[in-house]
Order: sequence, then C-alpha cells, then structure tokens
Amino acid sequence: MRPSLIFLVSLGLLALVDSALLLHHHAQKENAAADAGLLRMTAAGLGLSDLCLATEARYTRHPAVTDPIVPFMDHPGAFEHFPSGSFWARPSGPR
Amino acid sequence: MMSFARQANIIDYSLSSLWRRRFKSLGVMVVFAGVIFLLASFQMTTKALTNAASDILAFAPEITIQKMKAGRQESIPLEYKEKLAVILGIRAITPRIWGYYFNETSGANYTVLGLDPFSMPLGDQLGEAIDTGALPLDHEAVLGQGVFAELAGGGDAVIFSLFRPDLSLKTFSRAGVFKAETNILTYDTLFMNLDDARDLFSLPADMATDLCVTVANPNEVQTIAKKIAALLPDTRVVTRQQIQKTYQGVFGWRSGFASICLLTALAAFIIFAWDKASGLTPEERKEISILKIIGWQTSDVLTLRFWEGVTVSTVSFVVGYTLAYVHVSFFEASLFRPVLLGWSVLHPALRLVPSVELGETLLILCLTVVPYLAATIIPAWRAAIIPADSALN
Repeated sequence: MRPSLIFLVSLGLLALVDSALLLHHHAQKENAAADAGLLRMTAAGLGLSDLCLATEARYTRHPAVTDPIVPFMDHPGAFEHFPSGSFWARPSGPR
Repeated sequence: MMSFARQANIIDYSLSSLWRRRFKSLGVMVVFAGVIFLLASFQMTTKALTNAASDILAFAPEITIQKMKAGRQESIPLEYKEKLAVILGIRAITPRIWGYYFNETSGANYTVLGLDPFSMPLGDQLGEAIDTGALPLDHEAVLGQGVFAELAGGGDAVIFSLFRPDLSLKTFSRAGVFKAETNILTYDTLFMNLDDARDLFSLPADMATDLCVTVANPNEVQTIAKKIAALLPDTRVVTRQQIQKTYQGVFGWRSGFASICLLTALAAFIIFAWDKASGLTPEERKEISILKIIGWQTSDVLTLRFWEGVTVSTVSFVVGYTLAYVHVSFFEASLFRPVLLGWSVLHPALRLVPSVELGETLLILCLTVVPYLAATIIPAWRAAIIPADSALN
C-alpha cells in the first residue's frame, strides 16, 4: 500500500473521531441551552453578579464588584498571593 | 493528471522520508501537538467561561450601589433609598445583605446572601431553582450543593448552626437545596431572608451590604447610574454592562497564567525554528545530493520539504486540537483547574462547553502552523540549492 494512502486512511480515522466529538459537542450545547433559562432566572432572582468558580478569595469569587486594587489591600505593601489570582486578568473599565 | 501523479509520488517519498527518521519526526510532532494542545485548551476553557458568563450575567442586577470609605466597600445606610426617590425611572430598590462565612473546620468560604426575592426580577419563579424544598422562611436557609455536602454531608440533616461575629451560635433549618444545574452560580451559597443575614453578620437594622436597583426602561440604565453617582458621591455604582465587561476580559491572554502558556508556546517555537534553521545534517545533505544526481530539480526538493512540513503540522494540529477538546470537555480542563480554582475548598464541577468556532480554530492555526511552515522556508531553500556533487565532496 502506498504511504500516501496509509496517511489518508489515518487522517480519515482522525476525522471520524473528530466527527463523533462534534456530535458530542452539539449534544452538550443543547443540554447547556436547556439549563440556561434556570441559570438566568437564578441570576435575576438573587441579583447575582458573578460565577461561582474560585471561592478562595473575595476578588476571584466576585470580580465584577471588586476594585482592581483589592488583591493588595490586606495591609500596606501587601502582595497578591492567592493562586487563582494568576488565572484572572485585571477587571477593566472604570468603576 | 501527470502533475497529480507527480505530487502523489513526492508525497509518498516525503512520508517515507519522515518514516525513516521516525523518532525525530515523532518527537517534533509530540512537542508541536503539545504546544497546540496547550494553546487550544486554554482558549477553549476561557472562551467557554466567557460565553457562560455573558449568557447568564445578562440577567445580573441592572445597577448595584455600594458605599465606599477609604477605598474599601462598607455597609450602606438604608436611608440612601430615600435619597434616590427623586430619580425618575427607578422601578425598585432592593437592599441586600451578603458576605462571606469562613468555615474553620473545613477551611471553606461560603457566600451568605440575604434578600427578599419577590422584589427582584423573576424572583417569584426562584422556587424552580430549588431542588427539594422551598424559599426560606425565618431561620431557614437554602443551600448550594457544595454547602449542602459540607454542612449536612449530603444527607438528611436539616439543622445546622453558624457562628455570629461574637461567636454565639445561630441555628438554621435547611429549607431546600439549589439544583445541581445552578452550581456555577450557587454552589457555595447560603440563601436566607434579610433579617437572618443581618442577625448572622450582626449588621445594624438601618444598614445593608448594597442596593440593587431595577430600572423601568433598560435604555436609561446608564443615565440613571450617572444620576445616582452624582447624588451619592461616596458610592460605587456598578451597572450590568460593567459586570459583563469584566467577564469579557477577566479570562484574557493578559492574565499571568495565560502569559506563561503563551511564553511556553513561543519558547517551543523558537526551539523549532532554531532546529530547522541551524543547518542541514550530513545525512540530509547526502540525501538531497543523491536526489539531484538522479534527476530531481530544485523545485522538486522544495516541494518535498513543503509536504513534509504540511504533514507534520497537519497531524500535530489535528491531534493537539482533538486532545484539547477532550481535555476541556471530558476532563473539565483538569490541567488548569489547580490554577483556576487555587486553594478553593468548595469548587463546582466545571461542566464546560468548549467553544469550537471556525474563527478560533483559524486563530490557533495561525499562531502555530503558519509560524512552523514559515520557519521551514529558509532551511527548505538551503536544502534545495545544494549542488548535485555535494555528497561526493
């Protein structure tokens, strides 16, 4: 068998795997859309401003209502030391 | 047709050539796929979080008012509500009491939230978000799934106590548990009525944590926010638009972790480029000389190198991108979780829907494959112009 044919067959197999993953992606999106109404209603009913992702520091639990300076507010000369702080960029825009 | 057969033959030869040097080729592909995996995983994770925030927080409070003193937020007097009565267009002002409760036993932080849901938009439907039970009455609380698992061990216990600031105990009954579908909002939350939250935090009767403002005409939010800021100069006024804007940028490339990912990827590419551009090995020189002796033209050698580059980068890209999807979708971005969640004791399962869009795929392609192909141009040209008798010398 020609090497190019083996290569094409291998690419075809990869494409099959990716097609299956694409189908999974569509199913996942449909599930997320089904939950979206409940989440929006919860956010509106409780007046929530943030996602519950990192709960270790108040500025990563509620970045939307936090000033950019807050990570350094613990005491004069304080360093930001929570690990999740390295994943979250500084909130932009005027407050 | 002849041209196609010629290309097919060159591709065959390039694949055979890669197979002859299979350990080196595989090494390059593994590193290359790793770089693509890292970049694509990061992009899929952050985009999924940004999309979720954008969709859900479109229903965040239209305006939130927080009192500031010495650069810090502090409790806001309820009398500020009366000051705002002069602003037309405000439909409702809802005081909220919320804050953090540190559980010393487990080291977890809970978010305690007290408000009257019936004064909030869609608040009358909030019962639908509660899995078992109902909205909290006096001395009752609705628990997020994470808090429920900690305080009641996920079992039948319905009574629990929390410490007030003076270390006296306040006892609550479990009114219900938020549905698992709302984990991304409520996992660490204890929801109770305003008076219980006030009692728990020992807050004076005339104070609240902040005020949520509902506006009659959504087009007037910015105008009303400006009027509030002018009327209450010691407050911070946060609009829904600002909340959404925060989440558009908070997971961006400028965060420290993303910079590290980007720098790692760049370093890997520099190594690639250096390896490719640092000259031909004697074996490669000999191979090309022999090809030229048997009649290959310079353009043929260039084509050969082109197909080698395309093969390596295509396979690496497809494998890296596929693994990135699997990592984010099936393993909840487990490589990033330790950094994203840090020392959090309570953290919900990240049911992320990876963002797979043509534009983003092309962006990763441009950031990885194009630089790789570009880095192989000069070595390919240097290889192609080797004199036919080079190997003999």
